[in-house]
Amino acid sequence: MFSQNLREMLDLALFWEYRQILLAGLAFNFYVFAVSAVVAVSLGFLAALGRVNPLRPLRWLGAIHVETFRNAPDYVMLVWVHFVLPLLLSQMLGQRITFAPFVSAVIALGLVYSGYLAETFRTGIQAVPKGQIEAARACGMGGALIMRRIILPQAVRMMLPEAMNNFVSLFKATTIVSLITVPDLMYRVSMVTQQEMRPLPLYTGAAITYFLLIWGVAALARAGSERWRRKIWA
Amino acid sequence: MADAASTPPCVEVVDLHKRFGPLEVLRGVSTRVDRGSVVSIIGASGSGKSTLLRCINYLELPTSGEVRIDGEAVGFERRPDGQVRKRSAREIARFRQDLGMVFQQFNLWPHLTVLGNVVEAPLRVRGMPKREAMELGRACLARVQLSEKADEYPARLSGGQQQRVAIARALAMQPKVMLFDEATSALDPELTGEVLEVMRGLAADGTTMIVVTHEMAFAREVSDRAIYLHNGLIEEEGPPAQVFGDPKSDRCRQFLAKLLH
Repeated sequence: MFSQNLREMLDLALFWEYRQILLAGLAFNFYVFAVSAVVAVSLGFLAALGRVNPLRPLRWLGAIHVETFRNAPDYVMLVWVHFVLPLLLSQMLGQRITFAPFVSAVIALGLVYSGYLAETFRTGIQAVPKGQIEAARACGMGGALIMRRIILPQAVRMMLPEAMNNFVSLFKATTIVSLITVPDLMYRVSMVTQQEMRPLPLYTGAAITYFLLIWGVAALARAGSERWRRKIWA
Repeated sequence: MADAASTPPCVEVVDLHKRFGPLEVLRGVSTRVDRGSVVSIIGASGSGKSTLLRCINYLELPTSGEVRIDGEAVGFERRPDGQVRKRSAREIARFRQDLGMVFQQFNLWPHLTVLGNVVEAPLRVRGMPKREAMELGRACLARVQLSEKADEYPARLSGGQQQRVAIARALAMQPKVMLFDEATSALDPELTGEVLEVMRGLAADGTTMIVVTHEMAFAREVSDRAIYLHNGLIEEEGPPAQVFGDPKSDRCRQFLAKLLH
């Protein structure tokens, strides 16, 4: 009985048979990932700038942003943005508003991961030694120039491994968007499963595909960035 | 005498106070540094030497008093109608362009090459054309005898070499005055010589310099004037022969005696 299941699980022929439909779903994982990443990086950077700002109200805003979104579970945020937020907006604006699943997915994941990335950015920014910033000020450089030319080039290198982890998590999180019917790989696997009634090879195929993809890309990115990072801290 | 009155000193400090919370680090310091002269500031740690230097280029905001560069107040503007207006951060940054500073910890930017460190401010702050900035940068590196290291990253240099790059970086802004904040204190003893050598060269070339230092022999040899700070006040000031050789103040005498033993 057990070995029967095992054989069935390892027989990925069924997954391969549906590869065109299924792998097209991966494109949605990438779209959601790419657009959420842009949202998360932009908002996260703004929140990080808030958190390191000398002005207290801005520090507070940044902290509230981080705490709110970093502590919201992906799934809860997704459901809330997709089902509750449109209701709220409809009531406020007095007209019916709905979000396309893709839009909800991008808003929800973008917000949650902006919280994580903001902390990653902040750590990187604050890791640049104060003395270097003083040296820049002593040369007559202004705040924006110092951020762009002295802090960010180093902060990016320092925070890269952590940011990479954040991006890997974000990519993994894109697999829950099937729950609000974004037609990604997981969504399609469940559709095909309903038809074929053989969940084992289909879900195992999806699991292996995700694993290879994430593991491969993350390893490549790490190897590519490490030399560049090392150059300045010999 | 009439001449001295008509041309303002390069740097003038008037009744400068600096307070950190309950601690008053500078308690009314006034002095002047003429163009082309070298002034050294000595004193025990905690006497306010570094704070005084950092107030001159407004890295620290003075609590009260004035710093004037070529007769112009750094911190505020006196309008013709007699009103006084605080200067913005941007305006103060403009003054800093003319005040080169060398720090104890070098503070080079590790992601830029040696030449990159030197040309950064001329390019981005002065807006100098690239070719001109590169030429200037190489000339400054030649002055600190590091031409061959132009394309290295700072992490690959010794402490003495890093500090010389920091000097070249400050020189590249062609400042009116160079401020040295214990430039050799973080160096191994065998590396201080090369940095002092460069500083000696600058002094010989007529660079206006304010030097906070613990190198008494160097200060005595190079300065036109020495200042001994104690508890945030100038306790002794004069030609190095007087300050180091025959100080009027007992405290200064004791301080120097302690250093010699």
